[in-house]
Amino acid sequence: MFIFELLVQGLIQGGIYALIAIGLTLVYGLLRILHVAHAGLYALGGYCAILITNASGSFGLALTCSMIIVGIIGMVVYRIFYQPLLDKAPFVALIASIGLFIAMEEIFRIIFGAYGLTFSAPPLQDTVVFLGIYLRQCEIASIVLAIGLIAGLSLFTKYSRIGIAWRATVTDPEMAESFGVDVIKVRYLNFFIGSMMAAAAGSMVALLNNLVEPTMGSVPSYKALAIIVLGGLGNVRGTLIASLAIGIAEAVGTIYLGNILDRDSIAFAFLIVVLMLKPQGLFSKG
Amino acid sequence: MEYEISLLTIVGISIIGALSLNMILGFCGQISLGHAAFIGVGAYTSSILTKSGVPFLLSLPGAMALSCLIGIIVGFSSLRVRHDFLAITTMGVSFLFTGVVRKQEVLGGEMGIAMIPDPGWGKLGYMVFVILLVVILAIFSLYLKRSWMGYTFDAVAEDEDTASIVGVNVASFKLIAFALGTAFAGLAGALYAHNVKFIDPESFGFIESITVLSMVVIGGTGSVWGVITAAAVLSVFPLWFQFIDDYKLLVYGTLLCIVMLFSPQGLSGIVADLKGRLVNSKEGLHAAD
Amino acid sequence: MLQINDITVDFGGVRAVDQVSFVLKKGELLGLIGPNGAGKTTLMRVITGSVTPSLGTVRLEDRILNKLPSYQRIRLGIGLSQQIVSPFRSMTVLENVAFVAGYHKTKNPIASLFKVNRSPENEEAKRLLNMVGIEEVASSSPSNLPLGYLKRLELARALALKPKLLLLDEPLAGLNQVEAVQLSDTLWELNRKGQTIILIEHNLSEVIRICHRLVVIDNGRKIGEGEPHMVMNDADVQSAYLG
Repeated sequence: MFIFELLVQGLIQGGIYALIAIGLTLVYGLLRILHVAHAGLYALGGYCAILITNASGSFGLALTCSMIIVGIIGMVVYRIFYQPLLDKAPFVALIASIGLFIAMEEIFRIIFGAYGLTFSAPPLQDTVVFLGIYLRQCEIASIVLAIGLIAGLSLFTKYSRIGIAWRATVTDPEMAESFGVDVIKVRYLNFFIGSMMAAAAGSMVALLNNLVEPTMGSVPSYKALAIIVLGGLGNVRGTLIASLAIGIAEAVGTIYLGNILDRDSIAFAFLIVVLMLKPQGLFSKG
Repeated sequence: MEYEISLLTIVGISIIGALSLNMILGFCGQISLGHAAFIGVGAYTSSILTKSGVPFLLSLPGAMALSCLIGIIVGFSSLRVRHDFLAITTMGVSFLFTGVVRKQEVLGGEMGIAMIPDPGWGKLGYMVFVILLVVILAIFSLYLKRSWMGYTFDAVAEDEDTASIVGVNVASFKLIAFALGTAFAGLAGALYAHNVKFIDPESFGFIESITVLSMVVIGGTGSVWGVITAAAVLSVFPLWFQFIDDYKLLVYGTLLCIVMLFSPQGLSGIVADLKGRLVNSKEGLHAAD
Repeated sequence: MLQINDITVDFGGVRAVDQVSFVLKKGELLGLIGPNGAGKTTLMRVITGSVTPSLGTVRLEDRILNKLPSYQRIRLGIGLSQQIVSPFRSMTVLENVAFVAGYHKTKNPIASLFKVNRSPENEEAKRLLNMVGIEEVASSSPSNLPLGYLKRLELARALALKPKLLLLDEPLAGLNQVEAVQLSDTLWELNRKGQTIILIEHNLSEVIRICHRLVVIDNGRKIGEGEPHMVMNDADVQSAYLG
C-alpha cells in the first residue's frame, strides 16, 4: 500500500513536470533554444492564480485567466528576447534566457515580497479516499488537469489544421515553409500553448502547497531541462515518459536515497548517468 | 582604509573566479553553468585541510588539485555531449554539488563550516596576497592566449570538427581547458573561504555560477581585460551602493539580457566596435583630404 | 601507399558505398569521379575517419587506419581539402594556414603551452598562400571572401600539413575557368614534385587533363578504373554520366 501511495504521489508530481517540460521541449524542437525563462512563466502562472482567486473567489476563473495571461506573455517573451537572437550562436539565447529568468524572480520578490503569497481561503483541500489511499481534492484535480491538457494537445496537433502545420514545422521547418506554413504564426502559437501549460502547472502547484514564492521556479526549471534531455530534446512523447519516470523516481528515491542525496539532485544524478551512456537522451530518434 | 582593503580582497577573488571560467568558456568555447561548484570544492577542501592543521599555503595546492581532478571528470562529459547538452550537464553538476554537500555531516551539512582558520597575515597582508595572485593569473591568461595552446583553443572553440580535420586532438585540449579553469576556480574558492571564514552549500549554488558567468559574458568571453573589468565592476557595485545589493540579481539578470541582445561580445565587443569606428572615421577624414 | 579494401558504408538501410577497392601508388595523381551522390565524398570521409565503414579496411603505407580517430590519421600524413569550405572565421586567412602549419607545435597539447613563436609558420603560410594565388587577402577575415578564395584557402590549409597524401574534394568548384586552369596547373606542378593526390572533381576536362588514372564510382559501386581516355570511352561509364 505504501508503495502504491508513493507511486500516486510520484504521478502527481510527474504530471506537473510534464506540463512544464512539454512547453520547454516544444520550444527546443522548434527553435533549438533552451528556454530557461519558461519556469519564470510557470511561477507567474502561480502568482496569477492566487491573486485572481483571492480577488474573485473562484479558482476555476483564476486558472483560466492565468493560462491566457501567461500564454500571451509567453508570446511577448518570444518576440522581444528570442526572435532577435535566432541567428546568433546557441548559447547567446540561452544566456539571455537565464538573465530573463533571474530578473523575473527578482521582480516577483520586489513586488510581492520574499515570503510569497497564499490563498486567503484555499479551495479543494478536502480529503477523499481513492482506491484505499487518502488524497486531497486538489491532488486529484492536478492529475485530471494534466491528463486533460496533454490529451487536448495531442488531439489538437493531430486533427486541427494549424496543429498539423505546427507538427510539420517542428519536424522539418524548411519543408513546412515550402508547403506554405506560416512559420512565424506557428512560433507564436508554440509559445502561447507552451506558456499556457506552464501556467496551469504553476497554478496547480500554488494550490497544492498553498504558497507561491519568488524562487518557486528555480528547481522545476532546471529539473524540466533535465527531463527534456532525458526525453530526447524536442520529443514530446519521450518528455512525457521522462516526466512521469522522474516524478516516481523522486517519490521513491526520497525514501531510499534520502541520506546521501537530496530530492532535487536525483533528477540530475539520473540525467548525468544517462547522458554519459547515451549522449542524445533516452528517447532520441536515431 | 579597513573597508577599502576588504573591498579590494573581494574584488580580487571575484576576478580570479571569473578568469578561471574564462579559460573554459572564453578560450576553449565550452559552456559551463556549474562553475560555482568547483569554487565550492576548493573552498571546502582548503577549509577542511586548514582546520585539520595543514598550513594555509599548502592547502591552496590541495584545493586546486581536488577541484582540477573533479573538473577533469566533468570535462570528460564535454567529450560525450556538446553545446546545449553540455550546458544542462554542467548545470546538473552545480545542483549535484549542493545536493550532495548538504547531506554530508563531514562537510557540515546545511550548516556549513564555520571558524575557518585565518592565514595570520592581517587584512592588508591577505589583500596583497590576493592581488598578487590576480596579477599572476592575468599575466598567465594573456600569455596563454598568445601561446600555441591558446591558438588551438581558438580553433576548438570555433569548430571542433574542422579542428580535428586539421589534426587537432580536440579531446585533450578540452580536458586541459577544464583542468586549468577548474584548478583556478579551486584557488578562488580557497581564497574566498579564508576571507569570509564561513562557508555553506548555498554559497556555491546555481545563482553563484550565474554570477561568475555574468562577469565573463558581460566582459566579453575570451577577453582578459574585459573579464577583469566586468568582474571588478559587478562585484564592487553591490558593495558600494547598499541599495544595489538588494537589486543585485535583478541588475545581473537584466544586464545579461541586454548584453546578449545588443552586444553578444560584451564590453570587449563594444570597445572593439568603437575603435573600429574611430579608425574608420579617421580614414574617412583622410579620404576627404 | 593507400589501400582501400572492400569498403562498404550503410546509412540507416541505404548502402552509400558498396565494396569499393582501389590502390594508390606513391607519387600518383588519381582522379575519383562519378555522378552526384555516387558516394565519392563518403569514401573520402571513410579515409579521414569521419565516417565509419560497416565493412572493409583503409591502409596507409603499412598501417591499418580503421581504429584511429581523425586527428591521428591527419597526423600520419593525410591532408584534406573539403568540398564544403570550413575556414576558422575568427582567424584571418593567414592565421588559418599558419595555425595548421604549426601542427608539430600542437602535437603534444601540454607542450603547446610553452611555445609562442609564430614567425616560421607565418612565413610558411605566406609561401602557401602565394602558391595558391591568394596572398593579397592574407590579412582579411574569411567571412568577407568569395567562394573561389575560400576554396584555395582550404587547399593551402591542407598543404600546410605537409601531407604524404593530399585528398581534394572538388577544389575547383566555385572557381571561374581561368582560376580553375591555374589551380589545376598548380596541382599538376605539386604532383610533379612528388605529391601524392586523390582528386574528386566534377570539372571533367581538368581531371582528364592532369590525372594519371581515374576511378569511377556510381551508386556506391566502382564501375571503372584506368587511364583517363580509356575510362571515359567505357560504355558503363558513359551511360552512368549520360543516364
